[in-house]
Amino acid sequence: MEWFNSHLLTGLTFLPLVWAAVGTLLPEKTVKHWAFAGSIVVFLLSLKLYTGYDPQGAEFQFLESAEWIPGLGVNYSLGMDGISMWLILLTTFLSPLVILSSYQGVEDREKSYYTLLLALQTGMTGAFVAMDTFLFYVFWEAMLIPMYFLIGIWGGKERIYAAMKFFIFTMVGSLLMLVAIFFLAYQHKLQFGNFSTALLDLYKVKLDGAGYFSTQGLLFLAFALAFAIKVPLFPLHTWLPDAHVQAPTAGSVILAGVLLKMGGYGFIRFAFPLFPQAVATYQHTFLILGSIAIVYGAWVAMVQPDMKKLVAYSSVSHMGYVVIGLFALNSIGATGSVYQMLNHGISTPALFLMVGMLYERRHTKEIKEYGGITKVMPLFAVAFMIATLSSVALPGTNGFVGEFLILLGAFKANPGLAVLATTGVIFGAVYMLWMFQRVMFGPLTNPENKKLKDLSLREACVLTPLLVAMIVMGVVPNFFFEKMETSVAKLLERTGKVEMVAQTAIRKDGK
Amino acid sequence: MDKLNVIDPSFLTLSGDQLALLGPYFWMIGAALLAMIVGVIRFLPSKWTVFAVAMVGILGGLFVSANQIGMDRADLFGGMMVADGFSAFFNVLFLGTAALSLCASLKYLDKEKLQYPEYTILLLFSTIGMMLMASALDLITIFIALEIMSLSVYVLVGFRRNDRRSNEAAMKYFILGAAASAILLYGSALLYGSTGTFVITEILARISAKGDLMTPVFHLGAWMVLAGFLFKIASVPFHMWLPDVYEGAPTPITGFMTTGVKAAAFAAFIRVFVAFGYGKDLTSAVEGRLHDVLWVLAVATMFIGNVIALTQTNLKRMLAYSTIAHTGYLLVGMIAAPHAESGFAPVAMYLAVYTVMNLGAFAVLSVLAGRGDTGLNLHDLSGLGKRHPWLAFSLAIFLFSLAGIPPTAGFASKYYLLYSAIQAKEVWLVVLAVLCSAIAVYYYLRVLVYMYMREPQADTPSAKDFTPAAAAFAVAMMVAMTLQIGILPAKMMAITKRVVAKL
Repeated sequence: MEWFNSHLLTGLTFLPLVWAAVGTLLPEKTVKHWAFAGSIVVFLLSLKLYTGYDPQGAEFQFLESAEWIPGLGVNYSLGMDGISMWLILLTTFLSPLVILSSYQGVEDREKSYYTLLLALQTGMTGAFVAMDTFLFYVFWEAMLIPMYFLIGIWGGKERIYAAMKFFIFTMVGSLLMLVAIFFLAYQHKLQFGNFSTALLDLYKVKLDGAGYFSTQGLLFLAFALAFAIKVPLFPLHTWLPDAHVQAPTAGSVILAGVLLKMGGYGFIRFAFPLFPQAVATYQHTFLILGSIAIVYGAWVAMVQPDMKKLVAYSSVSHMGYVVIGLFALNSIGATGSVYQMLNHGISTPALFLMVGMLYERRHTKEIKEYGGITKVMPLFAVAFMIATLSSVALPGTNGFVGEFLILLGAFKANPGLAVLATTGVIFGAVYMLWMFQRVMFGPLTNPENKKLKDLSLREACVLTPLLVAMIVMGVVPNFFFEKMETSVAKLLERTGKVEMVAQTAIRKDGK
Repeated sequence: MDKLNVIDPSFLTLSGDQLALLGPYFWMIGAALLAMIVGVIRFLPSKWTVFAVAMVGILGGLFVSANQIGMDRADLFGGMMVADGFSAFFNVLFLGTAALSLCASLKYLDKEKLQYPEYTILLLFSTIGMMLMASALDLITIFIALEIMSLSVYVLVGFRRNDRRSNEAAMKYFILGAAASAILLYGSALLYGSTGTFVITEILARISAKGDLMTPVFHLGAWMVLAGFLFKIASVPFHMWLPDVYEGAPTPITGFMTTGVKAAAFAAFIRVFVAFGYGKDLTSAVEGRLHDVLWVLAVATMFIGNVIALTQTNLKRMLAYSTIAHTGYLLVGMIAAPHAESGFAPVAMYLAVYTVMNLGAFAVLSVLAGRGDTGLNLHDLSGLGKRHPWLAFSLAIFLFSLAGIPPTAGFASKYYLLYSAIQAKEVWLVVLAVLCSAIAVYYYLRVLVYMYMREPQADTPSAKDFTPAAAAFAVAMMVAMTLQIGILPAKMMAITKRVVAKL
């Protein structure tokens, strides 16, 4: 058992890749079942993380470490805390659904497709558990390769342009982060006498942090650029609509569900604790950008004629909340942000999946082609309704909890911007409900829509877990908070916001 | 005058140990001479006998060199040559390059109807030249070695003698190369004139001991030697010859040149560079001006190489410009090396890795090339992922590695190289280098777009004949090494660090 626990993260990370490698030996048509089985096994295995993680215990658990490149102080070290645990669970939870959802849509080069999906999962999980900046960078970049092919081979008309844009945007950001990692590792050498890229060692490095363009400020910008592109934060979001619209459904789901979270996670794990002073300096810059993203994303989403593009811009808006929650620099905002990342990882994939289902039936994503779908696809309409409401943050659904906490936190940090951000909630309701109305209600004018089939059993199986998760996360958020609270508190402590954490603790005792 | 008549006897005799150290050279020279003989024996099939003789010689040399990597430094021929880890390391590199280039050439030559034994023999001689370059400690020896290498390569470049582009390439390379050699030789003469010695370690010792030896003549000589080497490594502004030559040369020879010739030039460059006293804090002229010039050249090389590569539609030409860009990264390593803890190790590692991945890419291209080196345009690769899944996969790995994306060897070595530059406090140089490599991502990925994301075109040859075994072996080896060094780079870093320790 001891051995099992100390190798669990490695297993979770590399099992999908190994599974995929074995899968390449199977006949082309059976690979999808094999991949599905693999993703289920990984999901079940990942539940062990939930039961095994003790929020009162050490900050990072399930640690493992092995020497990798001793000359550069690089170790293969993995570990997780409450924040990464939920993100890993999100990844392993979405993976089987994504594979199941591709059963019909993907017929070309199936073997490569499922191999790439599983390889992608390895990259994502690895990035969430890496405790060494070098290792993190390796996973972070390696992840791009499968995604690039997924968009470029199985995508829509403009897929090549979208894939290229996605790759180059992300690459430019992360290369500057690489320079910052070098610099930090070298500073560690100067201050402590040995090379190290271990995250916990780099946390200890002291850097000059006064002003916007101090050492810390510049390093922070290098990291923040990589993460802001991934989030994506206005004005670096332009790759996202292209990538989402062109990607196959599974690609969009993974992109929205997990890859965007990588940006938020990067801020939490790297940018914040490494450069506390710079974060404080740039706090308002990012609050402003985040607020712009919320409102701008919502406005642009409103006028989209294409459903997928609409959902893509809604992602820009929703991820804007994550950014302002984090940069509120208080525990309420940060908790809300982490929660919002999970929410967005549940509700946006559901929307993408459903748009994909419509697309498989009609081969168009234009809103004006639909109308009155409720009459022919009642079950689908119910599912779409729940996902829509979750996306507009109706109380009782997951979206509400996250956005409420974020706005509360943001209000403490900057009331003016919080008011601006709150208007995003209203616009969010406008664009989502308006789309719902145009697609689902009204007369069934288009003759081609008259013989649409309702959800198949397979599609229902894909959507049900997501819909259930939306309600559960909306009703019993404490189940999730329990395991992440201490990690969020630790994060803020590292960021130098001790007093805020203390306040929360006192309030809790008072209750 | 009397002294000149008496030759020091130690120059003429070699002890048993020293002879053993010369093993790799004996293997190669023996193989080259034997190949010349068996090549003209009528009743033997020259294709296979010459290939076999060459391979035996190369592998023998490779084995002996590999065993010498860990050895201590030993001077040979009164200090004109040296056998140390550094030379053994590069010998392994050159011999490996030669072996794999020969494997990739076997079928290619049949296809081009150029199956002559001279090809193999010239390749062996140029490899011998490279090996001597890496182990020469004397400016004259370096020059001779350079000429042995270059003359053979001039001929090899023009080997497709009925092709206009090949002829043009050979002529261009010969004239410009000869001019560069002349500059190098003249520079060497000036260095000798100002310091009184040809031995590069001795030059360093003398100028360190006596600063006033650094006369204007010394500086002029050093700059000329530098220019000669910059030509050989194809740094901007001495890069103009390279794309035409690479495009015109037979594809396996292009691979051989981008890796072997370049690594040899760098190996000798490193040795000479050390002798200039850069990084030793001798004078501000060397420290400041040399640094600044190299800094500007490195940035210009990276930038120009990458930007021009963006517009290329011929793969050989694209890889030619990418090789210029990689020279730029290597120059970054050269600038940083004396100030970083790892010394020249990142440069050596980068060269080794670059050799592996580029050789692999050219082996793939040799297989794909049609008669007369056609079929190497981007659109000819359309749908390669379906036609030749394994070749396409291998080429993809090599391109990812060239672009420096983990988990490939290209990433590990770039990381090591740029990390050393950070230690040398060249932060802005590193920032520029990574931005240039972001540009590079575009043209490497564009090849993948054609291979995987486009359907085969009507005019592309649909089903090619199967991949020849020797070339397949070469490609598979290189893929394995690219991934192996990429995932576990520690060993390679340790080796390179050891071999540059006593430069």
